[in-house]
Amino acid sequence: MSIDKTVNAYGALLALLGIIIILTPWIIFPVCEMEGSYVITSTGTKLPMTCGWTARAETGIGALIVVAGGLLIARSTRETRQAVGVFTIAMGALVILFPTVLIGMCKVATHPCRMTTLPALEILGVIVIIVGGYLVWKPE
Amino acid sequence: MSSAKNFSFFVLVARNLQNRPYRNIAMVLSFAIIAGTLFSAQYLAGGARQSLETGMDMMGADILVVPDKYAAASQAVILTGEISTFFFNDTGFEKISQIPGVAKASPEIYIATLYGQACCAGPVQIIAIDPGSDFTIATWLKENPGVTMGKDDIIVGSAISGDIGSDLLFYGHTFHIVGRLARTGMGLDMAVFTRIEDAYTMANESGVKAVRKLTIPPGMVSAVLVRVEPGTSPAGISDEIKQRVPGTKTMTPNGLLSTISGQLGAITSLLYGSTIAVTLISIPLLGSISAMVAHEKKKEIAILHALGATKSFIVRLMMAESFSLASLGALTGIGIAVLILVGFQDFIAFTLRIPFTIPSPLMIVAYAGSALLLSIVIGGIASLYPAYLINHSEPYETMRKGES
Repeated sequence: MSIDKTVNAYGALLALLGIIIILTPWIIFPVCEMEGSYVITSTGTKLPMTCGWTARAETGIGALIVVAGGLLIARSTRETRQAVGVFTIAMGALVILFPTVLIGMCKVATHPCRMTTLPALEILGVIVIIVGGYLVWKPE
Repeated sequence: MSSAKNFSFFVLVARNLQNRPYRNIAMVLSFAIIAGTLFSAQYLAGGARQSLETGMDMMGADILVVPDKYAAASQAVILTGEISTFFFNDTGFEKISQIPGVAKASPEIYIATLYGQACCAGPVQIIAIDPGSDFTIATWLKENPGVTMGKDDIIVGSAISGDIGSDLLFYGHTFHIVGRLARTGMGLDMAVFTRIEDAYTMANESGVKAVRKLTIPPGMVSAVLVRVEPGTSPAGISDEIKQRVPGTKTMTPNGLLSTISGQLGAITSLLYGSTIAVTLISIPLLGSISAMVAHEKKKEIAILHALGATKSFIVRLMMAESFSLASLGALTGIGIAVLILVGFQDFIAFTLRIPFTIPSPLMIVAYAGSALLLSIVIGGIASLYPAYLINHSEPYETMRKGES
């Protein structure tokens, strides 16, 4: 029973991390478009900067991490825990890879997305991977 | 036999720690705060100092001579990359190179670009140099023998976007990137170096090609970099320059370091103050927690005595538990501090308005080592009282009284 409670606590932690990942690029450490910076095309259309697309991808990944946490709370068997653990490690890796490799952030080092959003997402990604690793290798 | 003893000892330490998880987590957190704050203070001060040393080494100047009324602007250009365009009132800077003790003097022109550059979010600082007398970029060119600085060639700071070989447009004039400087953490990272003659060409064309005309008064410069002869005091030369060329202000690396120390003073004082406060509070707190644990463990210790454990073994056991918690807490605190300080280094430098770069690995190890050592010393001090209690208890009496 106590093991279930521990697993449930990790499920809640994952859900919380997912919510923080969703909120980070929009509210906690906002990307450039939240500060009013856009790419303006020759026709005058406003488009999000690179970091804006990363923010959208992170929202999706954050939502999936919330779902993973919910799954762990709803069903805390050993198999679910390990499966959620593997899934969480992959999601944590994507949290880091979207702003660094897959989509990226603005090129200019002084943009808010580079100074605050990027390191925050990197740190959150590392925490998600550590939680995932614990779920996979947690002793019975 | 000895390996069996070691095994028993460490297993005992580990099991004792596992038995009181919440109390131990609280102690680990205390050590994490102490080590984390001490490490952060040292890391920030060391990073700023190293950044300034790297930047000044790159500039190669012992003294920077600037117009008196633009001293603050010049300092901002050098330290934090805040852009500015200014000039001396007259053309008397040649006198500087004639002062005895001056080995080299090289003029520079500072030009702030317009907004909306392709390379950057905002305007950047163009620094126009005289290739004949320059020793800032000349040193870099010597270290990179394949690179030459010809007509319309620029060497950019580490934070300027654009690949080597690509073009950048300033005031409607096209420049060609031929090199990139290493990161210094100073304003140089956001600067673009060009030749003075190319800067004049750019200014002459700007009336037609740019949205705003750039004017560079002929013969005027913004700053003069001075290198003194070996064995000569930069302070003495600085005084001589101020006397011979009125309206000038001189800046030395030591002076800039004092400025940065002043800017960092509040935050480092806060961090060092927090370390001292947390340390002072935690020693009696951790001591009383250890004493409580020792009291709770009296019966357990009495049984260990009965099984043949010596008093020194018990004291070592108590010390090992305390050192384990201190080390675990310190490493946790240092780890979290490293994650935050490295991750947010640009934001920290931008917010504190200081030059900043990651200290060398050796310095980081030294800062982490001192924070770890302080935690272990505190852990050792905190376990002295319980160790004293144990040494003065009577095992037989304890078991007879049934204390647990």
